[in-house]
Amino acid sequence: MKIVHKKYILLFALTIMFAATSQAQIAKAEIQATGLTCSMCSNAINKQLKSLAEVENVEIDLNTNTFTVTLKENNSLKPSVFKENVEKAGFFIGSLILTVKPETIAKEPYILLDGKEKQANEILIQVLDKGYVTNKTFKKLSKSYKNSLTFNNNDETDFHIKVLN
Amino acid sequence: MNIKINLLAFLLLIFSINANAQIKVGDRLPSLELLNTSSEKINVNQFKDKFVLIDFWASWCAPCRLGNKKLVKLHAELNPAKIEIIGISIDTDPNKWIKAIAKDKITFLQLIDPNGFDAKSALLFGVEELSSKYLFDEKGILIMKNPTEEEIINLIK
Repeated sequence: MKIVHKKYILLFALTIMFAATSQAQIAKAEIQATGLTCSMCSNAINKQLKSLAEVENVEIDLNTNTFTVTLKENNSLKPSVFKENVEKAGFFIGSLILTVKPETIAKEPYILLDGKEKQANEILIQVLDKGYVTNKTFKKLSKSYKNSLTFNNNDETDFHIKVLN
Repeated sequence: MNIKINLLAFLLLIFSINANAQIKVGDRLPSLELLNTSSEKINVNQFKDKFVLIDFWASWCAPCRLGNKKLVKLHAELNPAKIEIIGISIDTDPNKWIKAIAKDKITFLQLIDPNGFDAKSALLFGVEELSSKYLFDEKGILIMKNPTEEEIINLIK
């Protein structure tokens, strides 16, 4: 029993270390949702987001129609989790802005399209891919970034980003 | 060990039933006390022998504001001795609520439960989206969720 216990502790410690050093980490997500009906008039998105184990808190700003999702530390969520859950609730993402550590976006699956990499404690990035902006915005973006080798491939496993701060 | 797991499962089940408690057609209008615009306590079940239409809304909900205009008209058309229309706002800012009432020229009873979708009345009624309407008959039994204007007029005639 004791040995098993030790193994678990070791595994736990390794997991934490691994998570802290190598996982892409998102601290916060600001989501604006769109749909046929008023997204703030439904409790569905809020409920769906709160059902995720990695979610610490969801705040709703009724002036900007934004859901601010605070995530637990050392999570390994990808931006796609927000798209999937907002769509599960019956809505679409109109805009997704993430607060991340600078090292997060320096590697896959993030591709920097606009803005400069910064050495700040936290940086704000917007995901520009299809399904993460409104259709109208996406059309504009695909023209603006027509020279990008990957943007218009609509590969769902990579995320094209713009650094906002 | 097994008993513990069973007990846990049982408690979880009970909890989930409670968490999803919401009013169904055929259920009785519960006792629910909320404040009106003059900060007086009003119980939604104090209106005996008349229909009660409860409308959940909020000042920031655009579809609700359009709905308010329709309800104001409906309220003017119906005999007030036969139906009580009650608006319950889940606005967290009472000032915005008061302003919206004035702007929409609402004359029917307005109550506030200022906690958004976590408001106890919203949980009690199982409100998952705004607006949500609940129509109770003269005996205080829920007969319809989200009735149309025509359905209300036909019933109250």
